[in-house]
Amino acid sequence: MRRQVPLILCFAFGIVMALTEFSPHPFSQWLNEEIIDWALVIGPFALVLAVATLVQSHWTRIRRRSEYWQYSFLVFIGMASMVLIGIPGGQRHEAFVWLFRYVQVPMDATMFSLLAFFIASAAYRAFRARTLEATLLLAAALIVMIGNAPVGDLIWNTIMPFQDNLPSTARQWILDNPNLSARRGIILGISLGVISQSIRIILGIERSYLGGVEGD
Amino acid sequence: MKGQRFSCPVLVVQGLVISLLVLGCGLNAFAQDATTTEDTRLFDTAKIWIFLAVILYSATVVYCIYHARSGKELFIRRIPGLEAVDEAIGRATEMGRSIMYILGLGGVSNVATIASMNILSQVAQKTADYETPLRVPCNDPIVMNVVQEMVKTAYLNEGRPDAYNEENIFFLTESQFAYAAGVDGMMVREQPAAVFLQGTFFAESLILAETGNSIGAIQIAGTDKEHQLPFFIAACDYTLIGEELFAASAYLSREPMLLGSLKGQDYGKVMIFGAIVIGVILELFGITWMTTFFQRVR
Repeated sequence: MRRQVPLILCFAFGIVMALTEFSPHPFSQWLNEEIIDWALVIGPFALVLAVATLVQSHWTRIRRRSEYWQYSFLVFIGMASMVLIGIPGGQRHEAFVWLFRYVQVPMDATMFSLLAFFIASAAYRAFRARTLEATLLLAAALIVMIGNAPVGDLIWNTIMPFQDNLPSTARQWILDNPNLSARRGIILGISLGVISQSIRIILGIERSYLGGVEGD
Repeated sequence: MKGQRFSCPVLVVQGLVISLLVLGCGLNAFAQDATTTEDTRLFDTAKIWIFLAVILYSATVVYCIYHARSGKELFIRRIPGLEAVDEAIGRATEMGRSIMYILGLGGVSNVATIASMNILSQVAQKTADYETPLRVPCNDPIVMNVVQEMVKTAYLNEGRPDAYNEENIFFLTESQFAYAAGVDGMMVREQPAAVFLQGTFFAESLILAETGNSIGAIQIAGTDKEHQLPFFIAACDYTLIGEELFAASAYLSREPMLLGSLKGQDYGKVMIFGAIVIGVILELFGITWMTTFFQRVR
């Protein structure tokens, strides 16, 4: 029964949600939105458990004096300040907005900006022309980079008096033909995989997500 | 999977009854309230071809799944990324270090996250056997709760409930870059020997993969976001591309019914490939009806 009920519900809602995609009837649209809302309701309950594990794990780190345990205090300070200001004052409270705008956003931006350096290091490894494939990748990357920079066309038009804007034209050709073809191939594979996985879940064949693998 | 052969049709019938009840009662209630300005059609005829394609493909997959119950050996091509799962776990065990499993930013309703959780359950069974610590930092509270239950069951099934440590599966944050920072910090401090990046990833994909690369961990990645695949290919040892992520649980478990669905998936690809080849040939001869047809399908 512990397995049967979730599987029946999964099948019923899976079929209903799939059918609502093909029906413009107001009930169908309402049902689709309603079921999505039900799913959203589960979130806050799970969040309580999740925050409890976060507090527990950091408290354990402090208690055991694990490596860098001092940083766990920062987690509690951050959490407590946002909660103590956010709950009584609301999302538009001046201090809450200030903390978001001048603490959280810059920290997020700092992490995001690391991406530039990581792209450079990953590109250096990927573009080392050791094999034919890597050489082709390098050539395509160079053309796309030169074509993307406005100065690429300017240099080309200055030194080569034929075929105006060739770098940006070549870049666009690479993006529209080999690149797009490969992407679409991958997207088709992913789409088929998603449908196949959904069928396995709806039919109850794939059930390890319920918390059991063998011997159910 | 014991008893599944018998429970599946019962499940389908019970599920169908509930679906029909929900739709029937709702339609009846709405038919009385419907105004003339609303589109009260039960079926959007403009989507007929999509609907038929989904039915055809689904029927093929279902046929292959039930055909596979006969126990006939199915040929499944080798997927290096999945072959390397044992190698990664073995390496971590030999080095006495942990394994980090990152499920990405997808919620529990995301199919890629579910596929990732299925791989995790297979990985958890192996780590239970080898007594290798498995660390799972989660971005979504619901995913965390489901994963805790799954991993616990995997350890129980392997007869190692004592080896399961609930503290190893924990919530980090819902914020994208804070999550990336947290996971990066853990990687650098704990130096896991193997890192699995499976699920839905966005801009944080390369931040995580490059950090994993910098600590020398063996990395196996897979995502349904095709924009992130180049980053994983550049930074990880193995990458599951496209449908390989969704094939992983079948490939690892070797369950005949799951493998049957892979066969169905391949038939789907053959159908699309056939349509592309025929379309190209027709276009070369100046016959455009097929291209026009597909352009009109929405």
